[in-house]
Amino acid sequence: MTTVDRPTPPVRTHKAERTWVGKSIRRVEDPRFLRGRGGYIADLVLPGMLHAAVLRSPHPHARIVSIDTSRAEAAPGVHAVVTGAQAAELTDPLPDFGPNPAAHTWRCLAVDKVRYVGEGVAVVVADDRYLAEDALELIDVEYEPLPPVVDPLAALADDAPLVHEPLGSNCAYDRTFEFGDVAGDFERADVVVTDQLRWHRSGGQPLETVGAVAEHDPATGGFRVHTNSLSFTSYLFMVATALKIPANRLDIVPMPAGGSFGSKLFVTKPLVIAAMCARLTGRPVRYLEDRVDNMANCDHHGSDRHYDVRMALTRDGKITAIDIDTVDDYGAYIQFGVGHHGNALAQVVGPYTIGSVRYRVRAVLTNKNQQGAYRGFGSEVNNWMLEQMVDKAARELGMDPVEIRRRNFIRSFPHFIPTGNVYDSGDYDAVLDKTLELGRYEHWREVQEQARAEGRYIGIGLITAQERSVFSATEFWFWFDEPGAPVTSMPESVTLKVDATGAITATLYSCAFWGNSPETMVAQLVAEEFDCDPHDVSVVYQSSKNGLPATGPGGSRTTVMLAGAVEGASAKIKEKARRAAAHLLEADPDDLEWRDGGFEVRGVPEKRKTLSEIAIMLHLFKHSFDEDVESGLEESKVFDHPYTTMPSADRKDLGVFYPFMGHACHLPVVEVDVETGVVTFLDYAAVHDCGTLVNPRSLAGHIQGGTAQGIGTALYEEFVYGPDGQLQTTSYLDYPIPTSLEVPELKIGHVETPSPWTPHGIKGGGEGGRMMAPAAINAAVNDALAPLGVRITELPLTPDRIRAALRAAGHGS
Amino acid sequence: MKPAAFDYAAPTRLADAIDLLVAHADAEPRVLAGGQSLVPLMNFRLAQPGFLVDLQHVDGLSDIRLTDDELVIGAMVRQSTAEESADAAAGAPLLVEALGHVAHPPIRNSGTIGGSIAHADPSAELPAVALALDATMTAAGPGGERRIPAAEFFRGPFETALGPDEILTEVRLPRRPGGHAFVEHARTHGGFAVVAVAVDLAVDDAGTVTRAAIALSGVGPTPIRATATEQALVGTVPDAESIRSAVAATVAVLSPAGDVHGSSETKVDMARSYLRRGIELALDRAASRR
Ligand SMILES: Cc1cc2nc3c(=O)[nH]c(=O)nc-3n(C[C@H](O)[C@H](O)[C@H](O)COP(=O)(O)OP(=O)(O)OC[C@H]3O[C@@H](n4cnc5c(N)ncnc54)[C@H](O)[C@@H]3O)c2cc1C
Repeated sequence: MTTVDRPTPPVRTHKAERTWVGKSIRRVEDPRFLRGRGGYIADLVLPGMLHAAVLRSPHPHARIVSIDTSRAEAAPGVHAVVTGAQAAELTDPLPDFGPNPAAHTWRCLAVDKVRYVGEGVAVVVADDRYLAEDALELIDVEYEPLPPVVDPLAALADDAPLVHEPLGSNCAYDRTFEFGDVAGDFERADVVVTDQLRWHRSGGQPLETVGAVAEHDPATGGFRVHTNSLSFTSYLFMVATALKIPANRLDIVPMPAGGSFGSKLFVTKPLVIAAMCARLTGRPVRYLEDRVDNMANCDHHGSDRHYDVRMALTRDGKITAIDIDTVDDYGAYIQFGVGHHGNALAQVVGPYTIGSVRYRVRAVLTNKNQQGAYRGFGSEVNNWMLEQMVDKAARELGMDPVEIRRRNFIRSFPHFIPTGNVYDSGDYDAVLDKTLELGRYEHWREVQEQARAEGRYIGIGLITAQERSVFSATEFWFWFDEPGAPVTSMPESVTLKVDATGAITATLYSCAFWGNSPETMVAQLVAEEFDCDPHDVSVVYQSSKNGLPATGPGGSRTTVMLAGAVEGASAKIKEKARRAAAHLLEADPDDLEWRDGGFEVRGVPEKRKTLSEIAIMLHLFKHSFDEDVESGLEESKVFDHPYTTMPSADRKDLGVFYPFMGHACHLPVVEVDVETGVVTFLDYAAVHDCGTLVNPRSLAGHIQGGTAQGIGTALYEEFVYGPDGQLQTTSYLDYPIPTSLEVPELKIGHVETPSPWTPHGIKGGGEGGRMMAPAAINAAVNDALAPLGVRITELPLTPDRIRAALRAAGHGS
Repeated sequence: MKPAAFDYAAPTRLADAIDLLVAHADAEPRVLAGGQSLVPLMNFRLAQPGFLVDLQHVDGLSDIRLTDDELVIGAMVRQSTAEESADAAAGAPLLVEALGHVAHPPIRNSGTIGGSIAHADPSAELPAVALALDATMTAAGPGGERRIPAAEFFRGPFETALGPDEILTEVRLPRRPGGHAFVEHARTHGGFAVVAVAVDLAVDDAGTVTRAAIALSGVGPTPIRATATEQALVGTVPDAESIRSAVAATVAVLSPAGDVHGSSETKVDMARSYLRRGIELALDRAASRR
């Protein structure tokens, strides 16, 4: 490990007595959404609005020889038909953070060549979506099919067909990182455990798919676009570039996401298609993906990895090193580069004191829809891989899964892991203890033993894993020797306005309701500052045009970043209010203290001014104050990432990029029906620690929902591409997602180890459940099948895979 | 996912419905029942009928009648209505048990008994029930009415003995006292069966099987009868070993097609397991009802 200067931020002291932060108040978003008043893209109807539908490639890989749109153009109600070639003149490529965007150019519609089943080839704009789809059937496309690239390992062969010819290879990225003395640690190891693992692709399934309604203003050449992705406040220029307009001509209005789970992060394609069509037709245009569009073409399929892993241990179970070689099938494009592996590297050693790490990542391009973001962003895959390895090591060493984990826990903080990232705080023993108790570990071990005697296969999964939060964008560029960028700030902003009656409005930037609870978080944080009822705080969202710097939800950052912004804006408001109160009370500002919703002279409770008394004076009677006081009581805070540092030049230390480290322990108990391969849950306990809780119940909702998705990943969900490159799972008939009947009610526990570096000690927790559940369920199934000599290292664990493994081990029926 | 254009009529008399099918024969008409299979197919444009005859308001298709020897269910009886019907529970408990596996309650509120059987999805539950119970389907067409036994009704995936201008009006299920069981594997609750087993049998006081009817869904182009297993069971007092070999007789000849939900081998494994479980459950129930 190279030595780098490791400055840490000043340690904060957190308020001991909190009124609202930590309370399970009713979510302020609920009345709107539970009454069907969310206001989604499908609800937005503008006068004269037209509808777009996209023609999708039936081929995984083919040259577009010709497109004839004349019959479609003549069809009833059709206003425009745009081919990929025409779109390439009307728009520029989409924003792409991949390794070499010029060599794997990504556009809103395919030009010359289609690269996966479902890639858009042309778009029809018509009076309604029915007519648009009628016209799609009249577009004549002549394709020259090319051999598809489906298997990522085969794609690496020298003679494999190329997904992108200019790249000269299907390997978009290949690099090996070494952190610490890996070779030495393996040489000194008593035991080396090796394995191969396989994680198949799945993806977030939002209730409303991605969409946009665009209006073009011919007078200014500008656009107003409503979309359920981000408002792109800080990244507006990238979207504007794709539309070939100056950024100050674009206004993006955020709409509730209707579920994202990552899958709506930075989605520009529907927005660009709708805007392009609006400019062309002179009418507002809605483009809203339907379910088939979304499943085949959302650009947000999840990780799809092959792993070859070696783990070095001492005989008494101490893990000293890990050597990871992963091939990740990115699909036809690579919009976020290998950021998913940055996520893995943020917590690559899990909660363990592993001293050295080798990490090789190869990003392979194939004829599939590309990867995007899915709750965990690749770190959940690393958690699963690591926990599988720890369990395998425990088996080989004859240790209990609890014991091996305790042997390796990190116990002093802050702790810098070999990659350079820091774990701010934690108490892994406390989380484990609580889980064992809540999940009745000993009890289930007894039940398991009895069941085995009766020929039943019960398994107990126990995993302990990390839940990184608040990402810094260095993880998108520390991959290269020449990053060309200094450390990034990833800001998030809040404006607080106290009106003349003392009522508070908080304005948020970057996105609308995202499925998390930003409004509830902000309402509680504001209430904590001003001693008001959180349900009286009004929370609104601003479009990008008048937006302040903001990055948007991702990497479990929203609550921490909003807390910082609320704290900062509140401090400014209180400062102005203090001066005003001092003036009104004819007291020295330094003699005033904030108490119970107002300022009072310390020790003289009857000499006080409430916030509303101060506010009305500041709004309407400014001349009562000094010359330099302005009317009104409104302040903003742009809160920058509180702790991120540069990587070292040799990339042997990646710096701090995900510093607020949550932790969790999951303990599912399953029964495997060995005749049919069906897995059912008998119990499930989950204890999370993501620092100080703002709202325990809403966090529990995240854990429950994230675990439900993790159950999907572990047991049900997989985007299956056949050897011919056809997507075989294009609807929920073939892509089963767990329902409330498949998901057990969790026993949820919380441990609160505050972060020393964030407001109130909060850490992010939005991705938690899905970061743990796949690992935990895989462990449980393997524990159940252990007496049969079967261990499965491939997700999802469908009945088919379980039966196949049992048959291979000689358990025919 | 929007359907192609179509014309639509909602007659109130069966004869008018048939006339409409005949009159619009060129438009490849379809009858619309609960729409829970047909409408998705139209949205995917896998079906593009030019004319829909909605049966919703047609008189006389929504009755449930229980007589001493049969249960007669109108084609337009909603699946949830049948599920909650005391007559259906008394006349064909196997049907009611199977309905609990058909989709989810909101879909069963629209979906009909006749629609499910006429649709003949090879993974559907009700066709297996009809086959196991030796149901008779009543079809009405321009030439009048005819009755089609279940064994002749299911011809292939989504293919039945109904002519293009015929309407299924009712399903007649003979009452057969004994024990029943409906067991299946679906990937998630409410999903189509990967493999389903319907069992209907009777035992005498000595425990000897006097009658056995067993059908499977999901393992072939149509539901199939497990004839070899039925024959092996009848006349015996089954025990674990004889059930296993009776099941093996059917399983040996199965060769279901693999798909994303399971390979052929796994489906055979499931058929083996669910056949055994279904038979055991039905035997238990038959014994306890004596
Ligand atoms: C999410 C979902 C899950 C489902 N899960 C299951 C499941 O697990 N198991 C299962 O079996 N089904 C399932 N279904 C299908 C459901 O049971 C349908 O209701 C049923 O298959 C068709 O019945 P219907 O009344 O809706 O018919 P429709 O959809 O209206 O019609 C289906 C077909 O039958 C024809 N038809 C209908 N009635 C008649 C008639 N009287 N005479 C002649 N032809 C007729 C129609 O022309 C059409 O071709 C599911 C459906 C959905 C949407």
